Amino acid sequence: MLSRAIGSTSRLALTPAVAYPCSARLSTATVASKLRSSIHHPPPPKQATPIQTPLFLSLTEPFKRGKGDPPPDGNVVVLDPTVFNEPVRRDILHLCTVHYLDSLRQGSANTKTRGEVRGSGIKIRPQKGSGRARLGDGQSPMLVGGGIAFGPKPRDFSTKLPRKVIQMGMRVALSVKMKENLLGVMSSLLWPCGRTKHLVHRIEALGLRKTLFITGEETPHVGLDRAIRNIPSVHLMAADKVNVYHILKHQRLVLDIKAVEYFERTLKKDTPLVPLSKLASI
Amino acid sequence: MATRIRTTRVTLANLSPAQGSQHNPKRVGRGQGSGYGGTAGRGANGQKSRSGAGIKPGFEGGQTPITKLFPKRGFINQNARTWAPVNLDRIQYWIEQGRLTSSPENPITARELLMSGCIHDVHDGIKILGDGAEHFKDPIYVIASRASKSAIDAIESKGGKVVCQFYNPLALRDCVKGRTDRVAAAPTRREDITWYTNYRNRGYISPATLKSLGDLPFVEERWKLLATQLGAWKKQEFDVQKK
Repeated sequence: MLSRAIGSTSRLALTPAVAYPCSARLSTATVASKLRSSIHHPPPPKQATPIQTPLFLSLTEPFKRGKGDPPPDGNVVVLDPTVFNEPVRRDILHLCTVHYLDSLRQGSANTKTRGEVRGSGIKIRPQKGSGRARLGDGQSPMLVGGGIAFGPKPRDFSTKLPRKVIQMGMRVALSVKMKENLLGVMSSLLWPCGRTKHLVHRIEALGLRKTLFITGEETPHVGLDRAIRNIPSVHLMAADKVNVYHILKHQRLVLDIKAVEYFERTLKKDTPLVPLSKLASI
Repeated sequence: MATRIRTTRVTLANLSPAQGSQHNPKRVGRGQGSGYGGTAGRGANGQKSRSGAGIKPGFEGGQTPITKLFPKRGFINQNARTWAPVNLDRIQYWIEQGRLTSSPENPITARELLMSGCIHDVHDGIKILGDGAEHFKDPIYVIASRASKSAIDAIESKGGKVVCQFYNPLALRDCVKGRTDRVAAAPTRREDITWYTNYRNRGYISPATLKSLGDLPFVEERWKLLATQLGAWKKQEFDVQKK
């Protein structure tokens, strides 16, 4: 809560070598008292909700350190537990995945009915006298070369899923990666030199094979986008285009700081959190 | 142990729907083992076993159907209004529980009655009825669509005020939703105008009602204007032709 009062850009709690946040930036008494008076205490909730503590995740080494980027050693990202610490719900993940795959279906299977098969309507043989079954035109589904009865027709296979279920699916998927220690946060996703070969070496060095990189920028960095395109099992996506399916398909997930902010802005819930300053005393 | 902690990763390969959330649809005509093979649940021969066998709903095989046995009767009055009744003892109970409060600044209207649960649906308006007037104690300020004579007497004997205001469907919706940007329409039908300009009904555009209310906060300036405009019929006469 306190870090929010300062501004959303303070995603990182700058700490000394210990990976444990103590509000070093807020140690001055005047700053603390100003903040204390400006903190708005919301009225107590009508339903008892558990007060959760934020999660802390150490930064991963970026591909290429940008100029304003903080050093990854000794820096920790504060994550919202309502987004990254949801209980695991495999059935919700199943619903979201099936919904996404349904939407991808082309639905273009088509067959001709007896009305669409080319042929005349003449009666093939007389009603009586031939000793065989009675038949009308030559396109009946009973006959070889006739139409198909109840065959597939082009249709829309997409299904509807409540918006809140999809949002919950995203929260569960991000939490699952966090719980399995397969989530990383880089300060920024850049690759200025643009050489795929060198990017492959860097990815191997960081141990980030089979990773989905999610950036919070509207369009991902051009150099990184082009270089990463030809690397198998590694993909780069913008945060607003990401799906539960993509998150589960890849083994690892690496987010941008901006992507973390995007997910928290769109997915977080309004439950009370323990403010950072109180955590140091716990 | 109570729960088994899964140590396998959650991947696309081990997702499944919640137990009991999905059910396979019935597919008829697919073999004896399913229980719906052969005649596929249609029985043997007969009209109903044929394709396209849609018998008109309500058809009774030729016997006069129940919808035709009895004669039509009467008509439906399109101008009829259904009032949502609320008795005085119920209002008293709600006030004692603290679910309803009334003051000259905030009188009891359809909105308060609905939100407090005294009324479950406002229909075409609220009518205050006088059942249980012996339990009624507190002075209240009410604006309803209608009020019975005994209710008016009971409320005024305790020092409260009743006003009956005309609400058309839009005005009633605005009252219930708490919208104040629109002006509630005046009555246009002769029956409504004669009713609401009558002091016996405590109509809101009756000059005697407005005089008895005095300058209470909920009285609007517009009511006084409407009282003069719509009450003009009381003083009018037809021109008598002089022979």
